[in-house]
Amino acid sequence: MEVVLHLPVVPNVELVAAKAVETVGSALGMDRTRIEAASVAIVEACLNAMEHGGGQMVVRMSVEALGQRPSLVIEVEDHGQGFDPELAPRNSASRVHGCTSKRGWGLTLIRELMDEVQIRSNPGRTLVRMRKYVENAP
Amino acid sequence: MNDEQMRLSKDVITDGFGVIAAAGYINNEGGQAIADAANELIDRGCGTLLIDLEGTRIINSIGVSILLEIMEKLLEDEGRLAFCNLTPTISKTFEIMGLVQYATIYPDREAAHTALMGDASV
Repeated sequence: MEVVLHLPVVPNVELVAAKAVETVGSALGMDRTRIEAASVAIVEACLNAMEHGGGQMVVRMSVEALGQRPSLVIEVEDHGQGFDPELAPRNSASRVHGCTSKRGWGLTLIRELMDEVQIRSNPGRTLVRMRKYVENAP
Repeated sequence: MNDEQMRLSKDVITDGFGVIAAAGYINNEGGQAIADAANELIDRGCGTLLIDLEGTRIINSIGVSILLEIMEKLLEDEGRLAFCNLTPTISKTFEIMGLVQYATIYPDREAAHTALMGDASV
């Protein structure tokens, strides 16, 4: 199973990607909580791609089975100027409490809500690859 | 996507205690709608606010950031913020973003009412 979406930068288009996660996750038998976690993660990845990607983004979803553990793999690709993932700080409540700007949570939430996250970024192409296993580890 | 459009109601339950029910996508617009309702209740003298998120299943960090601003405003005025009917993912997101450090989470509205209205400081 593979789903590929080419999404324009229009308001709330991230919900199209979230809906696709819900549909594919349900078909795989994922429970609602895992689907919702993956949905929030893909929403954040799409928002980052829209803010920094400079145009249309591509979302791909596929199913993989690592060691007999099926998982939903989600990729969000944009074509912005890129960034160094190693330098992207993990946000924290103590950092934003009392500050005027409370933004910058996207990657932190993605890393916390998904089981595995890989980010490859170069000028012109950033790929956020996320995995959510269908079930919790035994 | 229409089912994710924010549906919102607000009410003053007793003196100083207001409830906002919000169902839909908490993005910048949804978060701002909740903030507007919260500010109205604060202006009407509510120092304790309960936000009921039954019917809300999808959020983003921009919307939650606006909820953080409501929380800080209430804290500055020595008020209190509470939530109920959170999905596990929304609860975890609130935990990551620091809302649960200062706001109280209740499983449902009945539990929240019992706790908040039973408190003499309400």
